[in-house]
Amino acid sequence: MLRVKAIKTIFLWDWELEYRRSSGWFVSLLFSAIVTFLTSLLIKHPSPNTWLALLWMILIFSALQIANKTFSANEGQYHYINQLVHPLELLIGKSLSSSFSTLLISLLSFLLFSFWIGFPKSSDYSMPLIPLIVSISLGSVALSFTLCFTSAIAAKVDGNASLMSILSIPLLLPTLLVSLRASKLALLGEHIEQIYPLWIGELSLCGLSLALGAILFPYLWRS
Amino acid sequence: MKAWKVTGIILVAYSMYAGLMSDVPRLVILNETIRNLYFHVPMWFTMIALLGNSLVQSIRFLLSGQDGSKVNLNLDLKAKNFAEVAMIFSLLGLFTGMIWAKATWGTYWTSDPKLNGTAVTLLIYLAYFVLRSSIEDFEKRARLSSVYNVFAFVLMIVFIGILPRMTESLHPGNGGNPAFSNYDLDSGMRMVFYPAVFGWILIGWWISSIRHRLDILKKEK
Repeated sequence: MLRVKAIKTIFLWDWELEYRRSSGWFVSLLFSAIVTFLTSLLIKHPSPNTWLALLWMILIFSALQIANKTFSANEGQYHYINQLVHPLELLIGKSLSSSFSTLLISLLSFLLFSFWIGFPKSSDYSMPLIPLIVSISLGSVALSFTLCFTSAIAAKVDGNASLMSILSIPLLLPTLLVSLRASKLALLGEHIEQIYPLWIGELSLCGLSLALGAILFPYLWRS
Repeated sequence: MKAWKVTGIILVAYSMYAGLMSDVPRLVILNETIRNLYFHVPMWFTMIALLGNSLVQSIRFLLSGQDGSKVNLNLDLKAKNFAEVAMIFSLLGLFTGMIWAKATWGTYWTSDPKLNGTAVTLLIYLAYFVLRSSIEDFEKRARLSSVYNVFAFVLMIVFIGILPRMTESLHPGNGGNPAFSNYDLDSGMRMVFYPAVFGWILIGWWISSIRHRLDILKKEK
């Protein structure tokens, strides 16, 4: 039986720790700011395709950056946590907290990105921002749900950061493709009826990752 | 030698002979390269069959320690061996496909969904092997890599499933191109194609189980 209170505790505990360690998600924010700034120096007025490719590259690496830290507490702490909560509650709490921080970082990077690089120049259409923001948000949440599970695997192998990238990047491709398509349609100013099936796709990929994680995590976590 | 192994040899030998010697429809652009159907496509069927068995063995491994009994590490070893042989078949499928692409599309590699799907499958399973090799402890290795195998297999299938719907493709069966089965594959070709698929699956299964038995012997020594 899942206890909402336990999930909430894990979630809040994660956030409190992140907040206390100033090296927490401030590092992730700075990371994406630096990468965005670097990109803005390297490229001027990208075409819509290039623009999206750059944006998603930045988002994916920010998400990886956050996911690397998701399960990075030391063995002793988990020994303690495992006494108190069921593995599933731990996974859901961790997924929620990491997806929440990924969402925040993604939106902030998007803000910086549009501020420094701007939108594609060739836009002679009126583009509503909301569909683009929704596509990016849903996409980054879906990314972080998949990443959360692979980071649990990597954490069991002593949190090797490059192993984490090898394990997760091929698995992120379905989510990335759907999100790229959704944000492309949004960027081209398509009507919302064209885009929302892709949003459902993004959501169902979230659900798939979480469901698979829920089935497999108890096997992964027992030691 | 068991009957299914003999069947595998006979079917593959038959498909090789009939594949090169039998009559095939003469189609523009494809010409004689249509014979590659008997060699290229069975590789993918075999790869999926072997990966499917690898998945089944991983699930069986995860379930094996449930009732407090000892986990069966051989199941995980089997999953690894089937995945390894499946990767050999995927490379073979890739090479035969590249030759075919050169003849019909004019290039060895394009950014085609089928090709990208293959590349991602290779990446996923190479990551699986890297994961295995980076863990010392036998039981931990078996547990983590089984979990990854199940997780990765499902996402790979999703990827292969949605990819062609997201992009255009030159490959038959995608992006509005008819698959062979629609009208090109006449009944004469079916008589060679299905035995080839079945035969190669049996041969792949056989190679994997020999590798598995070798590994067990090595472990016991």
